[in-house]
Amino acid sequence: MYRLIQTLNRTAFIKATIAAFAVIVLVVLGSRNLQNFDAALIAYLMGAIFAVFGVAYRYSVWLQRPPTRLYWRRSMQFLFSRDFPFYFVRSIRLFFQNILFQRFIYHRSRTRWIGHFLLATGCLIAFAVTIPLTLGWIHFEFKPGNNMLYYAKVFGFEMGSFELGSFVAFMAFHALVWCSVLVTIGAVMMVKRRLTDGGLIATQTFEGDWLPLILLIAISITGLGISYDYTFLQGKTYQFMAVIHAVTVILFLVWIPFGKFFHIFQRLAQLGANLYRYEGRKRGMAVCPHTKEEFATQLHIQDLKEVSKELGFDFTLKDGSSHLDLSPEGKRAALAKAHFEARKNAGAFFG
Amino acid sequence: MAKLPSSVESIIDQFGPHKGYTPKEGFPGVHEPDKLVKTHCCFCGMQCGIQLKVKDNKVTGFEPWMEFPFNEGRLCPKGVQRYLQNNHRDRLLAPYKRVEGKGFERTSWEEALSKTVSEIQRIQNSHGRDAFAMLSGVSLTNEKSYMVGKFARVALKTANLDYNGRLCMVSAGAGNKKAFGLDRISNTWEDLKHAEVIIIAGTNVSETFPTLTHYIWQARDNGAKLIVIDPRVTPIARTADLHLPVRPGGDSALFGAMLKILVDNDWLDHDFIDNYTSGFQESIDAVKDYDLAWAEEKTGIPAAKIQQAAEWWGKAKTSFLLHARGIEHHSKGVDNVLSCINLVLATGRIGRPYCGYGTITGQGNGQGGREHGHKCDQLPGNRDITNPEHRKYISEVWGIDEKEMPGKGLSAYEIIEAIHRGEIKGLITICFNPLVSLPNNNFVREAFEKLEYYVAIDFFLNETARHADLILPGSLHEEEEGTVTTAEGRVVKINQAVTPPGEARKDSDILIELAQRLGVGDKFAYKKAEDTFNELRVASKGGTADYFGITYEKIEKNMGVFWPCPSEDHPGTPRLWEDKKFKTPDGKAHFNPVPYREPSEVVDMEYPVVMTTGRVVSQYLSGSQTRRIGKLVDQYPEPLLEIHPKLAYQYGIKDGDEVMVKTRRGEAVFPAQLVETIREDTVFIPYHWGGKQSANQLTIGTLDPVSKIPEFKVCACMLVPTGKIASIKIKESAFQSF
Amino acid sequence: MQNPQYNQQMEFFVDMQRCIGCHACEMACAECETNGQESMIHIHYVERAVSVQTTVQVCMHCDDPVCANVCPADAITKDDFGVVHTANTSRCIGCSNCVLACPFGVPKKEEKAELMMKCNMCYDRTSAGKKPMCATVCPSQALFYGTREEIEKLRPNSTPVNKFLFGQEEVNTKVNIMMPKGSTELRIHD
Repeated sequence: MYRLIQTLNRTAFIKATIAAFAVIVLVVLGSRNLQNFDAALIAYLMGAIFAVFGVAYRYSVWLQRPPTRLYWRRSMQFLFSRDFPFYFVRSIRLFFQNILFQRFIYHRSRTRWIGHFLLATGCLIAFAVTIPLTLGWIHFEFKPGNNMLYYAKVFGFEMGSFELGSFVAFMAFHALVWCSVLVTIGAVMMVKRRLTDGGLIATQTFEGDWLPLILLIAISITGLGISYDYTFLQGKTYQFMAVIHAVTVILFLVWIPFGKFFHIFQRLAQLGANLYRYEGRKRGMAVCPHTKEEFATQLHIQDLKEVSKELGFDFTLKDGSSHLDLSPEGKRAALAKAHFEARKNAGAFFG
Repeated sequence: MAKLPSSVESIIDQFGPHKGYTPKEGFPGVHEPDKLVKTHCCFCGMQCGIQLKVKDNKVTGFEPWMEFPFNEGRLCPKGVQRYLQNNHRDRLLAPYKRVEGKGFERTSWEEALSKTVSEIQRIQNSHGRDAFAMLSGVSLTNEKSYMVGKFARVALKTANLDYNGRLCMVSAGAGNKKAFGLDRISNTWEDLKHAEVIIIAGTNVSETFPTLTHYIWQARDNGAKLIVIDPRVTPIARTADLHLPVRPGGDSALFGAMLKILVDNDWLDHDFIDNYTSGFQESIDAVKDYDLAWAEEKTGIPAAKIQQAAEWWGKAKTSFLLHARGIEHHSKGVDNVLSCINLVLATGRIGRPYCGYGTITGQGNGQGGREHGHKCDQLPGNRDITNPEHRKYISEVWGIDEKEMPGKGLSAYEIIEAIHRGEIKGLITICFNPLVSLPNNNFVREAFEKLEYYVAIDFFLNETARHADLILPGSLHEEEEGTVTTAEGRVVKINQAVTPPGEARKDSDILIELAQRLGVGDKFAYKKAEDTFNELRVASKGGTADYFGITYEKIEKNMGVFWPCPSEDHPGTPRLWEDKKFKTPDGKAHFNPVPYREPSEVVDMEYPVVMTTGRVVSQYLSGSQTRRIGKLVDQYPEPLLEIHPKLAYQYGIKDGDEVMVKTRRGEAVFPAQLVETIREDTVFIPYHWGGKQSANQLTIGTLDPVSKIPEFKVCACMLVPTGKIASIKIKESAFQSF
Repeated sequence: MQNPQYNQQMEFFVDMQRCIGCHACEMACAECETNGQESMIHIHYVERAVSVQTTVQVCMHCDDPVCANVCPADAITKDDFGVVHTANTSRCIGCSNCVLACPFGVPKKEEKAELMMKCNMCYDRTSAGKKPMCATVCPSQALFYGTREEIEKLRPNSTPVNKFLFGQEEVNTKVNIMMPKGSTELRIHD
């Protein structure tokens, strides 16, 4: 972000506009010219389209930053190389491991992982349910002549059926309830951490850390409110419940590109970084001239020299080598040696 | 008692040492402690102030105590990690008895105590009272040290009580008593700050007293010249203005030669020498032949450096001389100390601001613990057990008949020798791990295998206690209230943070209960630590280490009181000798002639290399505490053999090779660490480990004739490379940050 | 992260020649509540075979942090006090760009956690008006946290320097290194 802040990024704007239009086209196609579109969801749709625009815009700006662009380019280059099958399989595996199961968070802290996993799983399932519904890609209808058998249609094509009142129906119609429960438990665990952990208390911000949790809890609770209303109150408060739920969800959608939730999209870059490391190791490791030990891939060091130059940092030394050829320990030792010499030349270590 | 009751592996499995770490997210409740307890670090004589975090009667962390004047929050790695003991899986939570073939099994306090008492009585009835001995330690508070002294004399009625200070400060204590009639550093650390010249002899301040470094660095900021005398370039020596790499054992030759240079150049304070000292002429006569060429040969230090050191010392207006175990752990430890004192007295720089001298006391309560009577020859107030008046006074305080008071007993190592000879049959230890900390420990182990009954009081099962018949779980530093006297003579308050966990009891409660069962409960009617302290105050009254005017309240209010403090309205004595009235019988400071002697074992064709031992910053004494703290272990996981590349080359030893070090007493294998920071004729091994890694299998048990300190710091060895390379992990974790 | 108790008069001063290599800072660093028992400070021998010289390295908190610039995930930010914060845990992708680009060798990659962590000058403590853990405990005061006036008084013959030259590149930092009186910069390579 440091040297590339621009008021409006033209490339990103174009890409985001295309993405938003693409969604609209898909809505039209998916809902068979809007005949399957649920008009009650129009506000959600607008929010979703805005979110797509925003995410695409930010993603595009993000990818223009030299280090990000490099990672993107390298990831694509390695993925679509001769080793495609290998890297593809590896990516799928990593996708499950790191994106769906967020295993790396387990190594940061166990309770944190449990909280995050519940929260993320709830969100992802909820997305999987609501996005197709909102965009009109999925809808349910009774089989003509049989008002006990329900059809699920995807893009207008019949994809399966189940009986009303069956277990499957119960689970399907209440999917969002289960999601809300998962999200709420997870979010409450995260809230507890933020209330008690001294380190988090010192560094957290309202908009960066608390607002997302509050939003998630609000969405879940208001969503549960709707279910509660039609299950136990015969829809007496439906209007109220529906409106406040819609408000929270739309706030959430509109805020995705700006706030913490953007990390859901950024996280994918972790897969790229993994491929980059793997390919780099295959190509050869860099050895630190000070410690005489391998410390990083040559590819990485070489790329970093270029990227940092592009960003305005040139660590090239007189003899043509670079300060970046040193490992972190080597750099620290170089600084210490220079300091020692300076002190020694001055004739006193103290004073 | 015979060999171990079961395999050493199974004992370690049950009792450790295991490496304890703080959980990743901290101990439960660490973010919301119930209280912060102001107390002190349990390691080393600096006794840095620290606050312990307590949650649900468990120590869960620490917070720096910025207001305590000595360290203002500063700590060494041991201090930072000291909180990891109370909550440790190895913490002894119940009495254990030895069960042959099985190891140790839990037993009840009732059974444990009644068995102990019956064994004491059985052994004393059949072999005499002195056949049951007691060994103690000075990690104990003043109150407990005092109580141990009284317990041994009044309850056990044995003469054979000694303590692990015998391996620590006794040479300095003996030297100071001879020269000054009193055993305490002359000045507080504050007086280091403006000393023009500082000599530190045989003390690796940077690793053994890290928090003292700040005072030395401040002095250097103010222009002080630092002279370090050490066979190794320790971190404190690295940037020193002058480093004198003395060959182990050559210290008194160096100081003798320096004294001669002072005399030859008349860098003397004649007024001070004439009016306030005695024995000057005899002392300089003793060194009249110690010229630079001779000194260079004896010490291995280039003559020019000796000359330079003497010149700086001689011409300085203010100065401070500090020494520690490096010159004291010798069969001539007292001589070395006296030769240092001669330099101080010759220049008259004592008893004034920024003019000081002293030993840096090593153990947590090395100072207070050596004053109040758990030495074999001593009674509270640093009184002499052979002096009829002293005996009479203390007998009165204790309410016993003076005739009942045992006489002078054997010193620590002599007790072990007496056990080995079969003269001592029973032993009780508290806070002492002789199997690791005494020299020639194969001999020590044989002795322990001969005991008929051995009971150990401790909070962790140390290596020696594995040989015990009975283990009584005592208390940690943070589990009992009391006072400690720091290396600068400041009496400070140890506050109880938590109660002993499980069935563990306070050390003092164990001693009191044993005393009751031995029929002298009325002499031990203490309800709390302060009662003991108040009795100690009276017992020390009129002695050289006079605590009479010190109260708990006064300590807390002033963050410590410096003894001597003879009355309640007395402010304490931070700087001694300002009145130049010394505590010797003639009131003068005494020069003592120090003719040079060789160490008890010198190198020869068979054992051609000088071996010395010492410490590392992450470990404390025999390691029974610090080898259980994970990060401290990881910092330096096992002993390495420091060897100069030139010496290594002669044997074809490369960095990381395994080397067997052999002496006349034993052999042990260590990975070699090739460093140019040690003399070319000397190898160094840190001693904090037990078993096969114990450096004290190799050291020599020769004692100083006066102080009875063993000669840990010099012996002769041979080096035999095993041809194997030590495993990489040792090297990595020992050298690198983690 | 807006804490009114952050005292901007207080600065960090390092003098590696005072360091005795005891590792107290490293142990204490792990107690900082923002790091969860991980130590962020680096302390090691420079070349043990020839010297016991050690070096100690905290984050220098650069004016224009290279780590933040090379971060592909925008995970590193500098706040209004000039503190460069550790990686935002939700953004960091564990690529190690910062680890390898930092000219002082500061950031650490926690491999399994796929997370970079670095010194934030004990933000939990400094933002509450306390000293950072490392500088609090440092027994040699190689790490010193206090005002400029204090250090000038304590160490009259030294000058704090915060300009470092790595070849052509000039890096200016919030943290100072104590140099011989009159120094204006520290050149790392000849």
